[in-house]
Parts: sequence; C-alpha cells; structure tokens
Amino acid sequence: MSRNALISLIVLLVAAPLLPGIALKTKSVLTGRRGAPVLQVYYDLWKLGWKRSVYSATTTWIFRAGPAVMLVSLVAAALFLPLDGRAAPAAFAGDLVAFAALLALGRFALVLAGLDTGSSFEGMGASREVTFATFAEPALFLCLIALVLATGELSLSGMLGAPLAAAWTRAPASLSLVGISLFVLLLVENSRVPADDPATHLELTMIHEVIVLDHGGPDLAVILYSSALKLALFAALVASVFVPRARLGAAASVVALLAALILVSAAVGVVESAMARLRLTRVPQLLAGAGALACFGIVLLLA
Amino acid sequence: MMLVAAGILLMLVAALTVAALWRRVALSDTAFRLFMVLGCTLGAIPAVRVLSGAAVPDVRLASLVPGGDWVFGIDTLSAVFLLAIFLVGGACALYGVAYAEHDHDRRRAAGAHALLAVLVAALALVVTAQAVVPFLIAWEVMAVAGYLTIISEPERAEVRRGGLLYLVATHTGTLALFAVFAIWGNGARDLTFASLAAHPPASAGVLALVLWLALAGFGVKAGIVPLHFWLPEAHAAAPSHISAIMSGLVIKMGIYGVMRIIALLVAPPVWFGWVLLALGATSGFLGVLWALAQHDLKRLLAFHSVENIGIILLGLGAGVLGVGYGHPVMATLGFAGAALHTFNHALFKSLLFLGAGSVGHATGTRDIERLGGLAKRMPRTAAVFLIGSVAIVGLPPLNGFLSEWLVYRSLFQGGVGTGSARFVVVAAVALALIGGLALACFAKVVAVIFLGNPRDPLAREARESASGITRPMAVLAGACVVTGLAPVLVLPPALRVGSMLARSASRDTMSLVSAANGPVTVFVLALAAGIALAAGIALAWAARRARSSVQPSRTSVETWACAYPVPLTARAQYTASSFAAPVLALFRPVTGVSVRRTAHSFATHAVDPVRTGLVLPAWRGVAQAADRIRRLHRGRISLHLAYVIAVVIVLLVYLIAAGGAS
Repeated sequence: MSRNALISLIVLLVAAPLLPGIALKTKSVLTGRRGAPVLQVYYDLWKLGWKRSVYSATTTWIFRAGPAVMLVSLVAAALFLPLDGRAAPAAFAGDLVAFAALLALGRFALVLAGLDTGSSFEGMGASREVTFATFAEPALFLCLIALVLATGELSLSGMLGAPLAAAWTRAPASLSLVGISLFVLLLVENSRVPADDPATHLELTMIHEVIVLDHGGPDLAVILYSSALKLALFAALVASVFVPRARLGAAASVVALLAALILVSAAVGVVESAMARLRLTRVPQLLAGAGALACFGIVLLLA
Repeated sequence: MMLVAAGILLMLVAALTVAALWRRVALSDTAFRLFMVLGCTLGAIPAVRVLSGAAVPDVRLASLVPGGDWVFGIDTLSAVFLLAIFLVGGACALYGVAYAEHDHDRRRAAGAHALLAVLVAALALVVTAQAVVPFLIAWEVMAVAGYLTIISEPERAEVRRGGLLYLVATHTGTLALFAVFAIWGNGARDLTFASLAAHPPASAGVLALVLWLALAGFGVKAGIVPLHFWLPEAHAAAPSHISAIMSGLVIKMGIYGVMRIIALLVAPPVWFGWVLLALGATSGFLGVLWALAQHDLKRLLAFHSVENIGIILLGLGAGVLGVGYGHPVMATLGFAGAALHTFNHALFKSLLFLGAGSVGHATGTRDIERLGGLAKRMPRTAAVFLIGSVAIVGLPPLNGFLSEWLVYRSLFQGGVGTGSARFVVVAAVALALIGGLALACFAKVVAVIFLGNPRDPLAREARESASGITRPMAVLAGACVVTGLAPVLVLPPALRVGSMLARSASRDTMSLVSAANGPVTVFVLALAAGIALAAGIALAWAARRARSSVQPSRTSVETWACAYPVPLTARAQYTASSFAAPVLALFRPVTGVSVRRTAHSFATHAVDPVRTGLVLPAWRGVAQAADRIRRLHRGRISLHLAYVIAVVIVLLVYLIAAGGAS
C-alpha cells in the first residue's frame, strides 16, 4: 500500500461527514435560505456519541449488530477504491464484485436491524429499500461491465486508474453515459432526491430515515457516519470516472479528490433544489433508465 | 476407492441394523448414528485426497450383463460431489434420528432411517460409477429411495401427491437418459465412460440430439425452469432432513450429469454454452422471484434451489463458452465456480432446510405469516439460519460469496477477452439481478420468522429444539463459515475441477490457483482491516464514554410507534406479503401471484405459472392418451403373456434380419 493511497483513504474517512452538509448548504443557498452549518453532521455525530442508547424490548442482538456490520462493510469497500487515482490499498482482479457485495452486506444488515423492531414503519422502509436495490444492483453492474469493456481491466484500481485516461480518448461517449448513470445511482443508493427526501417529515413517505427510526445514541451516530461514508464512496466513484487523476502528483491528487467530492455533493444539492422527489413507483423506472444508459454505453463498446 | 466402498457398505449395514433392531430404540439409534458417521468419515477421506491432487485407483468388476465392465472410480469431479454427499448426508442422518426421537410409530421411523442410509449410499454410487450400466442402476436406486423417503407420511394427501409428481418426473428424466446413452454408446467399444469419451457422437446433428436429451433428463432432476414443477411439491411433502438431502444433494445429481457429459466431450459446442447461459439466467431469475412470492417456508427454499441451479448453470455456460472461444482461463474459472457453488449450495441449502425443520418442529407450521420473534425463543436455530441466509445471498465473508465471485470473475474474464467471448460479460447483469432479489427474499424470511413479535400463539409458545437437532446444523453452519473465511482450503480443489472440465494444462491451473488465492486473501485481509478500523474507533469511543457520566442504555422500552398513543401490536407488523409486494408488483407478468385484499388485511398467494399453465394441461393430455392405451391391458394374464411372446418373436425376427444383413 502506497503512502499516497493511505493518505487519500484517511482524507475520505475524515471528510465523509462533510458531504451531506455541503449538499444541504447548496440546497439552502439556492432556495434563498441560510441553512445549517456545513459541519452540521460532525456536530450531530458528537452529540449522538454522548447520548445513551435506547433499545426496544422487541429487538435482539441483530438490531445492535446492524450498525457495526454496516460500518465495517463500508470501510472495507473503501479499501478497494483507488482514491489517489492510481491504486487502492487493496486490489485484485475481480475486486469490483467484492465492492458491490460489501455494499449489499451493509444493506442487508441495516434492513434486518430495522425489521428487528417489529414496527410497520421500519418494515415499510426496509421493503422499499430492498425493492430499489433489486434494480440498483444490476444498474451498478452494467456500469462496471462498461468500465471493464472500456479499459480491459478487472479491478477497480485498474479501471479507475491509469487505463481510464486512455479509455476516455477511445470511448468518450460510453464513459460519459456510465458517469451519468453512476450519478443517478448515487442519488438513489444514498436516499437523495428524487428517490427519497432526507428532509421529509412524514414517516409514511420515507425510505432510509424510517429504517433507522428506532436507532438512537451511538448506534444512530454509527449509521449517520456510515451513510455519509456511502455517499462519499459513490461520489469518489463518480469523480474517478469523470476525472482520471493518474497523472497528477501526490499532493495534487489528494487535493483533487477533496475538490471532486465537494463538487459532486454540490451537484447533489443542485438536483435537490431543482426537482421534487418522484413517486415511489417511479423510482424503479429511474433506475431502469440509468441502467439503460449504461447499456447504451456497453453496446457502443461492443460494436 | 476401497474406502468409499467401505463407507457405502457401512451405510448399508446401518440400514440393516436399524431395520432389524427397530424394537430396541436406544440401541438401534446409537448403532445407526455410529455406522453412518463412520461410513461418511471413511468415504470422505479419499474424496479429500483426490481434491488435494492425489490419484486413487479405479475398481473394475467383470460384468454379467452387456455393456462392459463395471468401473468405479473417483476423479476430481466425483470427489467434489462425494465430499458434499458424505458431509451433508451424515449431518442429515444425525438430525433425522433426533427428529424422529418422539415419533410413536417406531417401525416407520426405523424404516425412514434405513431408506435414508440407502439414499446416501446410492448417491455415492452415482458419482463414483464410471460406466453407464452401474450409473443408471445407482440412478434408479436413488430415485426410488428418494420417492420412498418423501412419502414417509403417506396418510397426508399432500405427501402422496408430491411423491407421485416426483416419481413421474424422475422417471421421465431417466427415460431421456436411456436415450442419451443408447445413442451415444451406439458403435462404442463398450459402455464405460472411458469408451464413450473415446467415441464422441459422429455428426453435429447427433451431438445436438444427445445434448438436448441430456439437458432434458438431467434438467428434470436439477429442476431447471421449466422442468422444476415437481420440486416445490416434493420438497414440501418430505420431512425436513429429507428435503435437505433432496435439495442439497439429489438435485445436484442433475448438475453432476451435465458436468459429466461436458467432461466426456472433447469439445462441447459453443451453442450449448449459450443455451446453458440462457437457461441459467432464466432459472435463476424466475426461481428467486417465485421464492419471493412464497410464504410456505419449504416451498420458498425449494424455489431458491431452482435459483441456485441457475447460478451454477451460468458458471457452466461460461465454462463451455470459454472452451468454445479458446479462453482457457475463463473456462477454468467458470467450471470452478459452478463446482464450488454446487458444493456450497449443498452446505447452506441443507442447513436452511434443517433450520426450517427445527422451526416447524417447534411451531407446527410452515406458513411464515404465522411466525415471528423466534430469535428470542430459538436463539441457536436463529443464529444458524442467519448464517445460512447470508451464505445463500452470496454476501461476504461466507462461502456463497466465494463461489459467486468465481462465476462473476469468469464472466468478466470473457469481457476482457477477444471476439464473441466479450458478449458473455452481459450475463453478469443477470447474476446481479438474481443477487438483489435473493437479498430481498432472505431479508423477508429471516425477519418474518425470527425478528419482531410473534404473529400467532404457535410462535409465542415455541421452544428451542433439542441439541440433537441443533448440533448437525451447527456443523453445517461452521462449514459455511470456514469455507468462506479460508478460501485457501477450497479454491485450489475447485480450480482443479475447473481445469479438468476445461482441459486446460495443469501448469495454467497452478498459476491460476496462486493468482486466485492472492486476491481472495487480500479480500479477507481487507475485511479484517475494515473490522479492525471500525473496532478501533468503537473501542476508543467506548473508553472515553466509560470515563464520562453517560447513563447506561435502556433496554426495556417499547418500539417507537411514531407518537401513536397505543403500543404497536404484532398485527401491526409488516407481513411477508406486504414486504414482498412492491418487488412482485414490478415483475407482475411472471410472478403468478394472486392478491387477497380487504379493508384491514393484505395477503398474496403464489401460484407456479409453469405448473398451472403448462404442466397440468399437458398432464391432462397425457392422461387422456393413457386412457386410450389402457384398452391394451385389461388385467388378463393370458393377454399379457401373449404380448411378451409377441415382443420376443419381433426381436427374433429383427435379429435374424440384422444378422442376415451383416
């Protein structure tokens, strides 16, 4: 593991809670409000960390293990992303499957923890989460397939590293489609508008927020941090596709990573202030659309 | 091979002992347990040796019937299946004894034990037979023993119906197999597998006929859509440990057959690879979707077997295409993935069926809509069931992930290949879709059975099963964890099977072994690093909290009802129907779900569209035709004797004519 990769990883882990804050700030400014401080998520984490936990008598150890499994799976997934634009701390041919499977593990843990409460609200959120995931998963794989075909590499470090720059000169159209598709996936997978509204106040319409309704204190802090980390992972993925950073120097690539993360979260904020959320039944269509974009990319590459 | 023979003999001894001593319960149970464990252990030794690279000599018996010597032997392909058979068979035998402990009809219980031993022995013979005649004999013994174990409670109409459906299906399949070997063996020196391999079908047309017939014959056994119709019925009818053997082992014999056919062909044609890929994607997708629609636990698990057979076929398809397009690495990985997934599925599916039996034993129902909250009442069953679920969904770090990764890896290897092989990569999307649906389904199963509050008094009064029932499950769960966490143990054998089927050079395989071990070790290390990192943060935080004055957590509050003034009741929980409804609605045309909706309830009921739309109408046609044929046999013995004589005369005439021609 190079020193550069390690520094980038630490930057990502530390900066992750910044992203939801930036998205919210962008949205506030665009809609003419002052908005919460950019560092709000850090304050929330600190506050929650010092509260006590409250567990429903219905719950079992699965409820308590949920946040921990989610955090571990996302941190492990982060190890496979080439955050410095060259090589990830861990890489092997086929690690893209491990990346996707770790995200799925985190989802499974969170969904089960929600269902452990025996509440219909959590059941509702969990059901919606897995419904969207059945479309999000193939869409993610369509994007990964397109990247494999474009770069001829089988690991995330390869396909997002040096070979990507060459691929942009060969297949710019396909890679643009993949990038857009990944951005849509980012919105849906991280429960942002138009799939879900993080600011909604009605439990019946929530997805992510309603699964974690019964988590409190440090448990909720872990989930809050993990969600921010997941957003950061997807943001880094989108940024890496659009901006190959393999030729940048060590310090420059870390700065570029941070800038890219901020840009992507600002874009999330722009989307959120520009459009309303879709009806729940429309979200699978959105995902199918994202998958179709990646599919076009694949067709162009195979032709 | 001698050790396997000894193991099989010990199982037959176990069967005889338990059948002879059924009046003395304690003695016969102990003897049965002992002989089965001993037999399985002995039999597993050569399987492990072959998988670690050693060779075991064949056994050749001079035959009294035509078709050449009866050859028995263990190659790497046999060994994978053999190991699964002895591991799962042993666990299920132990479970079965504990399961029947309180059965009042001792004679029937003893009969069921004896049949189980015969079934496991027959399975071991199927995968070690290296000639057509003993293979087909073992195949029939397996089919009939399977039927008899399924109908161990014949007073229930559902059981009789499921058993009959199984019997008809398996014999139709066997008929196709007779045709396969008759066509292929025509002109070969004798009917040993070695002679068949030396005498491949002459023309492309004959080869196509053989392959389609083999797909039909073995496909019925494996439960490939649309030949899966018997599977849920038979699995639901059988006692749980028998379902575990049926789903974990017996349907795998269909996969074994397809793999054996591929191994016997020097160059399987490319179209066959595409057919396997298409069948795999269809079976996987429809299997998991129909499972999601099911709320009968054992039918649900049976449909998941259809799904996993689909995943295995995707691996086989990638393997055949790798051979066809000249990409040995892709071929080796695909076959290895298929072999390992077969082995893994045997472990976790039998574990899940045993878990279903434990739940059924404690609550008396298979309808998951009536369960809930069992994790508190049956903690050990809940833990092993959760392990099985994580494994079957293909999530890291358990064994299901490892084999699905191999299949993915093979498909992606096609993507970086040349020519038409690149198109294979698109099949990875099917695998991803199947994975997403499987996650939804097992979230439903685990949550509705084990989490939340009991929905019915049956679940409220459930007690944990006896240790005789939970221990065999713990063994299988342990095997899932070890296989997942120590890929170094299972990847080299899987890749050996892969290279045998892909006929790739041994040097290539060994470099693949080291090339695959490295990555997966990296993966395990990454996971460990993730755990260490997260645990470090958590510990540091906990230490700081301990020094401060944070109050201890509260654990006896109600689940928050979103400010609703009355506590949430069990009836307010999400049901399996409501949980699965959004996904099912998205795929409505193929799910075959009927909805019952009233002002205060919502329930879905699954109907297998293939069974109601295809098989039953076809069956009615067959029954009508059979009615017409019935005029030929009226129960008069003299008439039947006349038929026999007529057939003998026709044969004689044929032989004379044929002899005259040559």
